[in-house]
Amino acid sequence: MRIVAVTACPTGIAHTYMAAEQIEKTAKKLGHTIKVETQGAMGIENELSQSDVDAADVALIAADIALERPERFDRIRKVEVPVQLVIRSPEAVFGRL
Amino acid sequence: MDSAYRFTCPLANGVHARPASELEHVARRFSADVRVANERTGQVANAKSVLGIVGLDIRHGDPCRIATNGRDAAWALESLKVFIEQKLPHLDDAPALVEVRPGEVRLPPVLRQANATVTPGTVVAGGIGMGRAFVMVGFTVPGSIPLTGVEDIEAEREKVEEGVGRLLSHYDARLDAHDEGEEADVLRAHLSLARDPEFSQAIVHAIRDGGCTAAGAVAEAESQFSAMLAATGSALLQERALDIRDVCRALLREIYGTALPPDEITLASDAVCVADTLTPGQFLALDRRWLKGLVLAHGGTTSHTVILARSSGIPTVVGVAGLDAAALDGQDVVVDADLGVVVTAVTDAARRYYDMERRRLEQRRARTHRFIARPATTEDGHRIEVAANVGSAGDVTQAVAGGAEGVGLFRTEMLFLARKDAPSEDEQFEQYRRAVVNAGGRPVIVRTLDVGGDKPLPYLALPKEDNPFLGYRAVRIYPEFEGLFRTQVRALIRASAFGRLQVMIPMISCMDEVTWVRGIIADEQSRLSGAGLEFNREMPVGAMIEVPSAAYMLGPLSEALDFFSIGTNDLLQYFLAADRANPRLTTLANPLEPSFLRLLYRIVSEVHRCGRWVGLCGEMGGQAQYLPILVGLGLDEISLASPEIASTKALLSGLSAAGCRRLLERAMQASTARDVAHLLDERDHWTPMPLTEPELVRLDADCHTKEEAIKAAVDLLYAAGRTDRPREVEDAVWHREATYSTGFGHALAIPHCKTDAVVASSMAVVKLRSGVDWGSTDDQPVRTLVLLAVREADQATTHLRVLASLARRFMHEDFRNHVEAEQDPAALCRLLHENAESD
Repeated sequence: MRIVAVTACPTGIAHTYMAAEQIEKTAKKLGHTIKVETQGAMGIENELSQSDVDAADVALIAADIALERPERFDRIRKVEVPVQLVIRSPEAVFGRL
Repeated sequence: MDSAYRFTCPLANGVHARPASELEHVARRFSADVRVANERTGQVANAKSVLGIVGLDIRHGDPCRIATNGRDAAWALESLKVFIEQKLPHLDDAPALVEVRPGEVRLPPVLRQANATVTPGTVVAGGIGMGRAFVMVGFTVPGSIPLTGVEDIEAEREKVEEGVGRLLSHYDARLDAHDEGEEADVLRAHLSLARDPEFSQAIVHAIRDGGCTAAGAVAEAESQFSAMLAATGSALLQERALDIRDVCRALLREIYGTALPPDEITLASDAVCVADTLTPGQFLALDRRWLKGLVLAHGGTTSHTVILARSSGIPTVVGVAGLDAAALDGQDVVVDADLGVVVTAVTDAARRYYDMERRRLEQRRARTHRFIARPATTEDGHRIEVAANVGSAGDVTQAVAGGAEGVGLFRTEMLFLARKDAPSEDEQFEQYRRAVVNAGGRPVIVRTLDVGGDKPLPYLALPKEDNPFLGYRAVRIYPEFEGLFRTQVRALIRASAFGRLQVMIPMISCMDEVTWVRGIIADEQSRLSGAGLEFNREMPVGAMIEVPSAAYMLGPLSEALDFFSIGTNDLLQYFLAADRANPRLTTLANPLEPSFLRLLYRIVSEVHRCGRWVGLCGEMGGQAQYLPILVGLGLDEISLASPEIASTKALLSGLSAAGCRRLLERAMQASTARDVAHLLDERDHWTPMPLTEPELVRLDADCHTKEEAIKAAVDLLYAAGRTDRPREVEDAVWHREATYSTGFGHALAIPHCKTDAVVASSMAVVKLRSGVDWGSTDDQPVRTLVLLAVREADQATTHLRVLASLARRFMHEDFRNHVEAEQDPAALCRLLHENAESD
């Protein structure tokens, strides 16, 4: 699968990046193609372009706060989960994709 | 014939005990009968009685009349007039309060969950004290002493008179032993009560006409005067009732001796005194080595007891309602005058909280103390001398012990104020000699007498002025009182033989003043030299720069003087034409006003261009927030109150002088003081602090709860000087914790927050002896926490990048195992920091 993901937590200091790492690690392990955008205290990093999103099969949104630029995901299948869940049980989350 | 003088009470707090006793002192010097009347109430009293004056309930703005009658009536009235015009207006100094009103207390999380009984009160002396409660009860005359039924009235009266006589000499003897400080003030107040004619008359009256015994009569007088004070409706005066009670008690002891129960309470371990009210005498009778706190159910904020507690550093909370004193006797009690509460039914958890508090404060103190013996330098090696402002030779010893590198301002006014005539040459010489000796080879800058204006002296009889700050004061009065000035100069020249004494002239505004002063000094030097005396012929002479005109004469002034010191208080108010005591002008009288910074810069660079030395001794020097500006100015020295010296040195060690110079450049280009304050907040002039350091690591911490663990981590930030507001950091961490737990499994938690309560983004690590419940995603207890406190302003900096990488690393088991296993703080810092950076 080609997956795009976005992570965003309340302070943007820690969990955003923990979740991103967990998603990348799990995708690699399960053999998916992955690109993860982080929306943290440093702003948007590794930003997903519209064509990144359009080329993907599914978008994994792990956010506890309102996303920046949500319109990019209007036309793609979305799976939305709490940040914590990705950190705790990444494989279970991937099972829902 | 009666001569009279009318005045309006100028005191905001009315004529309370201190102005009344000063007035009594003046009146007492004359044989004439002196009466003072409050024309608002129509009451008249004998001005030689403090109780009488106080009973008039003279309030702010009351019209009053003072009349004298008798042999020296005219002279007496003239003296009283001078006193009322010149001294009385300055006697309104209700003590400064550290006051926390009950009801505003927000308990920190650890104490909230400690289940102890917490009762709020009003803080009157700060600090935290813990000890065994002992309850002090009010004094009562024992039943064995009858209150009425006297056969020989004359004998009873004599007994009282002899008792009063002994009491007066007892007070005198104690005043001889210590004649300075708060304790002496209290003794003087008690002495004037004891010799008050109204007081004696009331006692005699009760014996003669009421058939009372001495004991009954004293009790009668006490209740009469207490009721009188209560009737004034003034809190200040009502609290003086405690002083009356004390004097009555002391008098009974003189009369009845051992028939009364003993005053002394023996303390042998840490103790907290709990009482309804406590008289100053009862307080003084307690052994202050063991007294750790004071809890008063009643008792206001201005009583002598409170003033004494504050000056003895005893944490004190008053107005604590609903405490069952009797039930507390013998129990452990905490007086937490930082939070403004009394903690009773002290649980283990509460005890642990206060152990943590003690550790937090001790560690911060230990860190600051390390700087006492170090020379004051910035991180990039720029040297700036940190000196002390003092008022006596004794202060110098204290200042040196606190890390002072010299005395930047010895205020000699203290030697001249509060006395009837000027101190003699020998008396002054002895003070100055002791000051330079106590300084142990460090420089001591002695400012010559700065009086007039807001600091009048009774024996100089200076005229009252409409605008005293722009008036006849300091160097301006020297030619008129030349003898006084010459005496001081001689004492200073003589003392210069004993150390590095430097003389500084206040309020210099033009060259003529300097020429005159130098002439007098040269003249006295040649006389003393003629008399064969040894002294330092090169004794430096300098000037305060506090009048703006002096800033434009620094070339010629530098030719006649050796050094300068900037007095920012007056310079600021003269330069901006804004009275700094006027609360409506506080935003204007702001030292960060860019125009004022330009003036300071001009002074420092001009003086340095002339090859002279320049320090700063105003209030600005003692306020930490201005320190970067002062370093940026390139001052040679700053002088401040001695308790702040070590912490100022500690702050300096974190500043970059180059950064401070850049800051000042930008500040001088700013348009408002507000903009300058923002520049200070940016903190670019501070040396970058590493995210973490071994000081921020604690291993084997014994914490029982998540609350304790978070506090332990925040306390590390406080101890290391990374925050002065640990409670704010703690609140921010808990605020984040409320969204969802930061325990992410694997016995690890990363509590974090964004807050500007830290001076730099920081990471603290606490490893726990045994795990605590964190509400983690895997429901397992947490054994290691990594607390992150990031400054709001810290956007997109390397710090955030490091933290982001670190967060990612925590998702890898091998890294977690490393962190778990590492027991060396320095290695742990490297692991967390470098590993993350290399990502």
